[in-house]
Amino acid sequence: MPGVLAKKLALTKERLYGLIGLAIVLALVPVFLGFNFYYVLLATNVMLAASLVAAWNIIGGYAGQLDLAASAYMALGAVVTGHLLASYGLTPWIGMFLGAGLAVTVAVLVGYPTFRFGIKEVWYALLTSALVVILMRIYYLIYGSFETYIPHMEPEWLYLSFRRYEVYYYLLAAMVVIIIWINLKIKSSKLGYYLAAIREDELAAEALGIDVRRYKLYALMIYAALAGIIGGIYITLTGILSYRLFDPWLGIVTAVMGIVGGLGSIEGAVLAAVILRSLEEYLRGAIGATYPGSHLLVYGLILIIVGVLKPEGLASLIRYVKNKLFYRKREEVK
Amino acid sequence: MMAIDPSLLLQNIVNGVFTGLLYSLVALGLALIFGVMDIINFAHGDFVMVGAYLTFVLATTFMIDPSLTAFITMPIFFVFGIVIYKLIIERVLGAEPLIQIAVTVGLLMVLRNLALMIFHAEPKGVPFTMFTQPITLGPITIASSRLVAGIVSLVALGLVHMLLTRTKWGIAMRATADDREVAELMGINVKRVYAVTFGLGTSLTALAAALIMTFSRADPYLGLLYGLLSWVIVAMGGLGGVIGVLASGLIIGIIEALGITIVGAGARELFIYLTFFFILWFRPRGLFGKR
Amino acid sequence: MPQPILRVEDVVKRFGGIIAVNHMSMEVYKNEILGLIGPNGAGKTTLFNCITGVYKPEEGRIIFQNEDITGLPPHVIIQKGIARTWQKVRPFKKLTVLEAVTVGALLRIPDVDEARETAKEILEFIGIDKSRWNRLGSEITLIEHKLVDLARALATRPKLILLDEVAAGLRPHEMDELAKVLLKVREEYKLTLIVVEHVMRFVMGLSERIVVMHEGKKIAEGRPEEVANNPRVVEAYLGTKPL
Ligand SMILES: Nc1ncnc2c1ncn2[C@@H]1O[C@H](COP(=O)(O)OP(=O)(O)OP(=O)(O)O)[C@@H](O)[C@H]1O
Ligand SMILES: [Mg+2]
Repeated sequence: MPGVLAKKLALTKERLYGLIGLAIVLALVPVFLGFNFYYVLLATNVMLAASLVAAWNIIGGYAGQLDLAASAYMALGAVVTGHLLASYGLTPWIGMFLGAGLAVTVAVLVGYPTFRFGIKEVWYALLTSALVVILMRIYYLIYGSFETYIPHMEPEWLYLSFRRYEVYYYLLAAMVVIIIWINLKIKSSKLGYYLAAIREDELAAEALGIDVRRYKLYALMIYAALAGIIGGIYITLTGILSYRLFDPWLGIVTAVMGIVGGLGSIEGAVLAAVILRSLEEYLRGAIGATYPGSHLLVYGLILIIVGVLKPEGLASLIRYVKNKLFYRKREEVK
Repeated sequence: MMAIDPSLLLQNIVNGVFTGLLYSLVALGLALIFGVMDIINFAHGDFVMVGAYLTFVLATTFMIDPSLTAFITMPIFFVFGIVIYKLIIERVLGAEPLIQIAVTVGLLMVLRNLALMIFHAEPKGVPFTMFTQPITLGPITIASSRLVAGIVSLVALGLVHMLLTRTKWGIAMRATADDREVAELMGINVKRVYAVTFGLGTSLTALAAALIMTFSRADPYLGLLYGLLSWVIVAMGGLGGVIGVLASGLIIGIIEALGITIVGAGARELFIYLTFFFILWFRPRGLFGKR
Repeated sequence: MPQPILRVEDVVKRFGGIIAVNHMSMEVYKNEILGLIGPNGAGKTTLFNCITGVYKPEEGRIIFQNEDITGLPPHVIIQKGIARTWQKVRPFKKLTVLEAVTVGALLRIPDVDEARETAKEILEFIGIDKSRWNRLGSEITLIEHKLVDLARALATRPKLILLDEVAAGLRPHEMDELAKVLLKVREEYKLTLIVVEHVMRFVMGLSERIVVMHEGKKIAEGRPEEVANNPRVVEAYLGTKPL
């Protein structure tokens, strides 16, 4: 039975069990936290980072494009969902998909010429970082420094307007599981093989028949859509619409977590997001009040150390542990 | 759009020229480091930020003009650059771009948050400077601090240009930039050239920071603006040497001024980054560059 | 002679001042093995790059199966049936050998599992040991990579394959093995081959016909023994290194 299900979901049994295990653990986290208001909020923040990094992994990890605009796509989803909700009372359940639609549209408008002109590496990173600033400035020109608050609305489920954080936690945790599933599915599909080839060597990939621009654009679109939906959920949590949603820094941090996780490894990326974001919250609580910024400083140090000593990232650590746990013959072919 | 007052436009363009000169100086160090060493430094803007705080501390402690602190901060930054090079950069030479970006983003986080811890978020300005008088020339008025910043930047660019073209070190740097292996065969100690280049590139940010502090304030988030800005200029200037950097800086300064005149101060960054997009899209190799 | 599968007509490719390919013309016939030789810098690789769409020639046309393919991008050209290997290897470092070949197979077989099976068949056919199939591109030797490159290209089911110095670095007995594999591959897949190679014993033994390039131009063509005795060819090579 699980075998059939695994086939349906196009995952190996091992991966399916892993995903179910993860879902159970995530479901239990609020219980372990005793449904403490503050801790659940922190856990929700961790899920937010984890889902965003998981979405980023598709463009950054699989396609190998150093995209720094995760926050832009997320913010587009957020502002569309938020403004439609605040001004027209449109349910975020629809709004988030419209937001994702705008995110994908912007991704295509920017991505098409960018890939067409072969912009890569640093230049791609800088361009996407600049995109966040551009969108922020455009939003600023329209709405100014003005913050729009989304009021509490009933029925709660329709407007995603809850007074407790648990529901948001579960929504974002569900996003984490779904996006990991999407990642795994991509990885074992033709798209996944093609993205990996593009990441490794674009010219060799193209000479094997891969339309490099097209496949990069696919990856970008999926990532932008997912980030847009995450943004739609996020805005119902914070309820504050502001130009600050377009945060270049968040875009960089998302990529950083993906890199620390080891490129192309979805397990590593999510684990890195969970560890770094939890560590950040912990340090913020422990020393952040006395020394503002110290938690991010530690973050930076970790990044330097990982980059200098272990450029393979957390993924290599995971692989090592896995090999220790389930030792299998390497030569054997699946 | 409303009609634009021509004298205001002229005024803003003149401001843009002087700002652009300063921008060129800010970007020059990055252009050197990227051109000679092929190192992607995302922390460049944060060197400027650290320089700004160092200027603030020295100026307020010894009660000297912020611009004069450059005589102290530049040598300090030269050494600082070499230390950073030895500790971090040398280990990621020739590594994948992603790794270089990750490591320098880490460095940026350390520097920025160190500044935040020590100085907190409120900007810190130096309350005194000799350049307070505005200078009026016909219809144009310019703050003397801006004028001085522009002129000093131009002189610094000229000196670096001479260094690159006339001296043994400069020629070694250019040879290394051209082809590392050939340079090595010619007997150039490439590692040493790298260390010096990184030191020089870093010390130039200290000069820029000192000039910035005559009219602006230090804050921990300064790095993002100057970092992106420098990369924009390098993208435009390609590796066309000092001249390319100068031309690109001026263009950016003027575009910024036009944006402010036409749309308003809110559009300042918008125009710069939109330009960046188009430059990258249509001239991936830089307007004045070769690569 | 059967009809030509590929016609190169008056192709010119410049790099700044250098004319890498200078009004080059040649024909390749269906199912033959054509040796393309010439001293270093003759323009052989550049010609391959023009045929496969990596470069767009400034002048001239390239006709494949009666269709003008000049200037089409590489991913379209391979669709038409021209595959190539690289002189300077371009491995997929973080993909296993099997995955790399699967990428090639996916061109004609959209289903991943089926493509994987085809990839295995090809690896077996080429004679890459099973124990190496799960090695990463970064873990295999240069020589092994040349074979993987060949397998990757074959997996796309080409009609014409351009081999750029596949035998370089092989020991003599390995070269004989490779020659056998190539002949077998031609039979099995009904292939046409263009083989660029500096090792004369290898090309001369393998090819039915030879085209000699020098300074971007064709200076001779014919059966191997004719070409070897052609004074212009000898002269071209004497300028660089002996035949
Ligand atoms: N991308 C390029 N840019 C500039 N010049 C090039 C480029 N590629 C090739 N050339 C030049 O074109 C000429 C032909 O080179 P090509 O690599 O085609 O020769 P080849 O016959 O393959 O030589 P070899 O046997 O050494 O591989 C050479 O002079 C080479 O330097
Ligand atoms: Mg060649």
